[in-house]
Amino acid sequence: MHQLNHFNSGDGLQLQPIDIGHRDYIGVISPDTAFWALVRKEQFIRTLSGSPLLHKYYRKTEAFGEEMETLRFGLKPSAVYFNPTDRCNLNCSYCYIPKSLRKNGKHMSSRKLLEALKILKIYFRSNLPKGQKPQIVFHGAEPLLNKGAVFEAMDKFNQDFRFGIQTNGTLLDFQDIEFLKTRGISIGLSLDGHVPQVADRLRRNWGGQGVSQKVIESIDMLRGYNNYSVICTVTKENMTSQVKMVEFLHRMEVPTCMLNPVRCTLPGSRKHKPLDIDIAGYYLRALDRTYQLYQKTGRKLVVANFANILIGIIAPLARRLMCDISPCGGGRCFFAVSSNGDLFPCSEFIGIKKFKGGNIFRNDIRNILETAPFKTITGRRIENIEPCSRCAIRHFCGAPCPAEAYGMNGSVETRGAFCELYAEQTRYAFRLIADNKTDAYLWDGWDKGAVTIFKMTKF
Amino acid sequence: MEKKGRKVKKNVIAYRKKCKANGTGLSHYVLLDKK
Repeated sequence: MHQLNHFNSGDGLQLQPIDIGHRDYIGVISPDTAFWALVRKEQFIRTLSGSPLLHKYYRKTEAFGEEMETLRFGLKPSAVYFNPTDRCNLNCSYCYIPKSLRKNGKHMSSRKLLEALKILKIYFRSNLPKGQKPQIVFHGAEPLLNKGAVFEAMDKFNQDFRFGIQTNGTLLDFQDIEFLKTRGISIGLSLDGHVPQVADRLRRNWGGQGVSQKVIESIDMLRGYNNYSVICTVTKENMTSQVKMVEFLHRMEVPTCMLNPVRCTLPGSRKHKPLDIDIAGYYLRALDRTYQLYQKTGRKLVVANFANILIGIIAPLARRLMCDISPCGGGRCFFAVSSNGDLFPCSEFIGIKKFKGGNIFRNDIRNILETAPFKTITGRRIENIEPCSRCAIRHFCGAPCPAEAYGMNGSVETRGAFCELYAEQTRYAFRLIADNKTDAYLWDGWDKGAVTIFKMTKF
Repeated sequence: MEKKGRKVKKNVIAYRKKCKANGTGLSHYVLLDKK
């Protein structure tokens, strides 16, 4: 009982109150274990005075701590982001891959791509539990510039990997989409606005022409397919259109989207960075709109980057995206392969040679994962970053992203670009929990296989 | 869809779920793998 009676001192429970911006509830968080409770404001003092809530949590602290330890340090790579080409047919000004590579880079040959997948198959066979299928996500640059090699690989290794592809959507035709759909490939497309006047501001081809109309045609062809998503990169050029964007995507029956703040890794992207307070306002209104649309139609448009924050609060181990936990997933849940076979902790690092860990054709993957470039990322702990080490929501945010932090501040042990946006998302998520609205923002079946390990609704 | 207008506010709301960890997505991509 000693620890309970003396929280926030010595070995006692750590508890930090946070204002979630709700009329009735205030949050209490134990940051290291990511335990949280929402307490009616008039019950707040009682809660902190040896209440049943604290007794119950006290009995769970060790288990919750172990859970976070597993999530943060106990996972093995099970996915690869694979760039089959350096090149892109677009010249988006915020891209994290250097312009020279996108314009003049090389394709990986079909032979080398198949060889690389063979190496990965052998690696995963000895490093993943039997029955767990690793994932290969073809990424870019624009992977469909090397379409023949990519599709051949998907067919030759369809028993060995789960495949996905992130594409700008400009090179997809009806046959390609049928190829991907019939194989159940998870598809990601990129579109930055609901109309060309917005979507084409930063996403253009090398001739300076916008391409959104073609992407919209691809989205239209994917109608009815449940295994795809649309990424919208949010900048100061399009942030005011986020509500219109979710309305458009919902109308197009897109099942999932991401409204990602622009990654500020390279200088070209930083000039498009919006202020946190500005982007957050429009973003939260877009989230409100998805709720309204769901109430009106019974059909969800899940905003996956927000859903992941919400899931990270409700069920830390169930998170799908591994950017917003520290260490991030780079080099420990996944790694990236560039078109010449170089390995990086994440595709965000592909333009930064310092973070190359080795080459898939020349080095053992197990050794690459132990190199200094990888260890720098897998060892990036939020406890060593200021002001994150003092932040109550540090395990709902994770101070993403190390590549961005390095690009902006010269060190990965600094926070990323959108601290306040994360804080606002977290407060919004807690308000949804307080108002019992969470299901409207999450995938159906997101908690399949999950069990409730803590529940309390009254003292 | 959820029920609207819950009349009695709970004193406290605290819950947590647990499952196997297998997240592999990043901000450039989310693997859905919906059947």
